[in-house]
Formats: sequence, structure tokens, C-alpha cells
Amino acid sequence: MMLQDGSTQLLCLTASSGVPLFTRGASKQLPFSVIGSLNGVHMFGGGQEVVLSSCETEGGGKVVWRVFQDSVMLIAVSGGGHRAPGSSKEEEVCLQRLLENVWNCMVLVLGQDELVNVRNVERLKRDLRSCFSLIDQLLEEKQEGILGTLTHCADSLVPPNPSLLQEAVDGFAQAADSEFGCLIVHGRIATATEKWWRLAPQEVVLLSALIRSLSDSGSASCDYPVFLPQGSPTVAHRLLRFQLLPGADVCVLCGPTPSLHRAETGLVGRFWSPLVETLRDCLAVGERCLPGSVSLRPGVLALLLINRETRRSVSCVRTPPHHPLGDSPSLSKARCWELLKLFYIFSISRYFTQEETPCVSPEERAQRGNSEDFLLGFSHQPQQCYLVTEECKSYGLQTAQHQLFLLLSPSVPTFALRTAATQTLSDITAATGF
Amino acid sequence: MSARGDASELASFTADMAQVPPPGSVVVSDWHRCKDSKEYFSKVLHKKRRKNFGLLESPVMPPHVAVDTVHYKIFISGKSGVGKTALAARLAGLNIPNMHHETTGIETTVVYWPVKLRESGRVLFFRLQLWDCGENALRRFDHLLPSCKEQVDAVLFLFSFTDRTSFDDLSNQIAKWTESSVGRVVKLVVGTKFDLFMHCDVSQRDVRDFQETWSLPVLRTGGEVSDGLGDVAPLLNCLSENLWHQDCVTAGPAGQRSQQETVTVL
Repeated sequence: MMLQDGSTQLLCLTASSGVPLFTRGASKQLPFSVIGSLNGVHMFGGGQEVVLSSCETEGGGKVVWRVFQDSVMLIAVSGGGHRAPGSSKEEEVCLQRLLENVWNCMVLVLGQDELVNVRNVERLKRDLRSCFSLIDQLLEEKQEGILGTLTHCADSLVPPNPSLLQEAVDGFAQAADSEFGCLIVHGRIATATEKWWRLAPQEVVLLSALIRSLSDSGSASCDYPVFLPQGSPTVAHRLLRFQLLPGADVCVLCGPTPSLHRAETGLVGRFWSPLVETLRDCLAVGERCLPGSVSLRPGVLALLLINRETRRSVSCVRTPPHHPLGDSPSLSKARCWELLKLFYIFSISRYFTQEETPCVSPEERAQRGNSEDFLLGFSHQPQQCYLVTEECKSYGLQTAQHQLFLLLSPSVPTFALRTAATQTLSDITAATGF
Repeated sequence: MSARGDASELASFTADMAQVPPPGSVVVSDWHRCKDSKEYFSKVLHKKRRKNFGLLESPVMPPHVAVDTVHYKIFISGKSGVGKTALAARLAGLNIPNMHHETTGIETTVVYWPVKLRESGRVLFFRLQLWDCGENALRRFDHLLPSCKEQVDAVLFLFSFTDRTSFDDLSNQIAKWTESSVGRVVKLVVGTKFDLFMHCDVSQRDVRDFQETWSLPVLRTGGEVSDGLGDVAPLLNCLSENLWHQDCVTAGPAGQRSQQETVTVL
């Protein structure tokens, strides 16, 4: 096998000449000859007017190719090994999304021009290093409870006192000559200006990832030039970020003014000092993402709720898990997150059609074609699905407005899953208006 | 304040450079080791690690020992890969990134550092905001450098002991910050990666010569981060001392830093 089990390696080459630009992920790099061959076989396909988009290796590994803007080729190679048989389709969905996210993140940091009009490969190589911290974050996905890079929905947190925070974000952004502002708590969007939600969903997700990585470093404030992959791929905006309290960051996207120094000394205290306690309440919501007013049924281990209209999601894993009958061995938090992710991928790749986003890749569209063929086999559009395994029971449910993915304890009777899911959905939406 | 009278000792100074006070003449060096500093340092520590303060927070002392906080902006200058981000993290007691990543914009880090003035025995919290910006980003985006220079109080010039060119480039860098347009700023030189003596590219003699030519304090950093304050105290004390000294010189003999002096109670 080329790679160790479970690891993913990312290769980036120039599309025209196949010069390697960088590789990330996996501790052991693929030999140069293998990288060359992977590029070669794709080029060969190109010569035959065939687009090679993915393939599976004998050992259960997977390779996915994609060329962006005729200039950069990204290849993702996953080691496989740990996967259950038949899950290759799910894995392909993940890798395709990964490539798209990586490309967007390269545009975010460097801008499209620099990537498309390559004048000096050595210089591009050096500049690309600026993207590594963000790309590594995409590859590692080590932060539990952050699903946005997979769902392309913004990971959100529902604050106990939304209107006060909304007012402050709106006022703060306006004072910073910006229409785009957002408050991020524990890496999730607690509130944002209306315009922030009008950014492309992938941009919102990517900006959240960038803000998380900046916030994790413990720095107090930032002034980061960013290119919006869909909205402004060639002109940089400034992302100003201020750490109000550890774990709570406010950001604005703005033009040449105000300077970081001015915004920090003149605006941060004025708008946010009166709200310290409100922010602390918000931090106390923690990784549960939902305020205390929402009580979840016993037996619920984890949930992911997506608002399909606003492209936002909340997710949480219950700790400690409930065992009403006391007979099931408890699942670790990490395993719950993993199962929730797997169930999401399972549901969207087989049953629930995905939202049409403006930036769907041809590969993804082709793939969607396949799943649509599969769906056409049904006389109807599936609205609910469930899966019972030894570890847990899972239930997926979609309405015009929402998608809910629920993990429940194995002790919950299967016939009660549907009721549990519909009630959970109505409980949350009624209490929070999410 | 002291240190102004020692003209004979400091005779070699060039005219446009602020005088450098002899180490320990303005602030008590190694104060973090003294018993009477405990109650102040405990406010910037949490479980033996440095406390991370958000912008809306600051160390809070009990009402009867109200301590003034003085704010300073410090820019970290130096070639790409020299260790600017790592130095900021080290000084703030944050995790030092284990892999080198280019900083693609400005990142600022806040360090609170309690200081005791030698002459008056007065205690102050120095709030040192370190401004770090990747060299590539500075080149690519014109607005970043002016933003770093805006109302800046000090510059740390970094070179790496493992990279000769970063040392040779110091004079250029310093010259840029000595132009009259910049105004008066404290200048310190910091040599990073001092622990990697196997790959050392800059000799002690080079450093001594440099120090004589420029009359600037040169400090060294590198190696494992100890959990105590010992490895950052010399640099933070030196920086605080020079900043305070500059303020006193600017404000005249009755020197008191009047602007920006705040006592934040949250």
C-alpha cells in the first residue's frame, strides 16, 4: 500500500508541466516516481479526451484528481485500509470536497491571479507556504465538532441572548466601515451581519476555519489580507479579527480603513466592553452549541442539524452519554463525532439530494448524476432514513427547511426513532428559531 | 529618573539615537524571583502557565493595591523564517508552533508584564502588544507596514544565529527605522535560535562588534521553553526598561507617562 492506513496525502502540481508545487499530509511522503505516475496517468487521459477524476487501489486506497482553472492540479490520495467495504463512494465525496476546499483556501490566501498566471514557479512555491497552516487544518480535521468543511454549512452556536449580540455586531461592523461582521465563539458563528450570510457558503466556512486557526494561536488581533474565492478572487479584502475573550472573536471584512490600531483602540472597547457578561454566557454554551433552554431527549447521543435555507448548522455530542438501561458500553466523544460524520456522508451520498450551490465542480455534478440515477430508481424522494449498527442507531430526516442527523443509544427501540427525531427537530426549532 | 547622567559611559552614542539605560538601572531586574512580586505575577499566571487575556480583559488587582497599566506597541522586524512568530509566542507564554508557517498578515500578541521601578519602588503592569507580520505579506500588501508603524513605541530587530544573511541585513533594517519620519522608537536586537550552536553562523565576536557599532542592546533567545519566567524575563525587563526610559526622556525630568495610562477593572 502506498500510504499508511487512514491518512490522506495531498499533492499539488502545475497543470501544464506537472512540476510539483507542494505535498501535505501523511508523515511518509509518496516517492517522486509515484507522484509522477499519478500526474502522467491523468495527462494520458487528457490526451484521449477523457477526464480521470478518481480511482480505487487494490488495497482499498483512493485517488482523486482535479484541475483548477487550467493551472493547478490537486491530487488527494487516501490510504484506505480502515474503511468498511462499499464505503468508497462516501470517501470520494469527502476527497472531492477536500480538493475544492484546498483550492479555495489557496485562492483565499494568494488570490486567483497569482495561481492562474504563474510567472515564476519557484516564487509560487514559496508563496504557497502561506497556505499550509490552513491546508493542514483541512487535512487533519482534528477539531471535534467542526463539520463545516464537509457540510459546506457554517458551524454555528445559538447564543442565549442573540439580539444584544446581533446589535453589537451590526454596530461594530458599521463603525469599521464594513457590512460584513461576525462573532465567533468556540470556533462557531454565534451571530453575523446579514451580508456575512450572503457570502458563498464555502467562503463562510473557509473564513471560519481561518479565524479558528488565528484564534487558536492565542494572538490578540489580526489584519489579514483575504481574497474571497467566489466573491472577490482577484481583489483582496482585509479581515480584521479581535479576540474579545479567550474563545470569543469578532471579525470584520473591510477595505483600506480603519487601520488595525485604530479599530482596536477606538472601537473594540466601545462596542464590546458593555457586553462582557453576555459574551461569557455565550461561551458557557460551550460545544453544546444550543442554549440551556433546549433539552434533548434521553437516548440522544449526538446530533447535526442543518438549516438548508441559511446554510448553517449546529451539532453536538452529549457528554456523558445516557444509558437508560445501563447495558451499552459507552461510546467515546471522539467516536460519536466520527459516527455522526459517517452517517451524514452515508445519508447525503445515498438518499438526500444535496443543495445546488453555485460552485459545484463538474466532478461533483457528474457524481451527483450517479446518485440521481440511483434515486430515480425510487418513485419518490426519500425524506427519512435510518441505520442500526452495533454501536448506535442513527436517524436522518429532511424537510424543506432542515436536515437532521441523529445518533441514538442502541437501547432506544427502533420503532421510536422516528418520533425521537421529529420531536427533537421541533423542540430545537421551537426553542431557538434556528 | 536615573541614567541620564552617565554621559561618559554612554559617550559613543550617535546623535539621533535615544540613550540606552544600563541594564537594571531603571527597573528591578529579576524581580520575578523576589517574594514581593508574587502577588503581581500571580495575576498574569494561571496554573503555572501564562494567562491568556482577551482584549476586554486585563490583570485585576485587589482595590487597595491598584496598579497602573501602561500600553506599548512593539513591532517585530526580521527576515522570513527568523522566528518572529515564535518569539511573540514565547514572550506571551503561548504554544510555539512546531512547524514553520508563513504569517500571511499582521498578528498581534499581548503580554502583560509586572515591573518594579528601581527608584520609586512603584509597580506597573506593562501591556506590551507585539506586532508580527510575515515578510512576504509586507512585500505583497502595501498597507501592512504603515499600519505596523502607526504609533509604534519600539522595534525588535531579529536575526537568527543560524542564518548569517539575517544578521548582515540588520544594519539595513535599523537604518530604515532611524529616519526622522518614524519618530522616536526604542530599538532592541534579538538573536534567535541561540541553542542551535552546531549550526551557528554568527560568532560572539560578530555580535560584540555589532553592539559596539550600534550601541543597541542585543539579547539572545532560543532552546526549550521552560515553564518558569526565567527565559523571558531578561528580554521583557530590558524592553520595559527602555520603553519607560524613552517616555521619561520624552516627557522631561518630571517624566510621567500621562497618555494611555489606564486602570481597567472588569
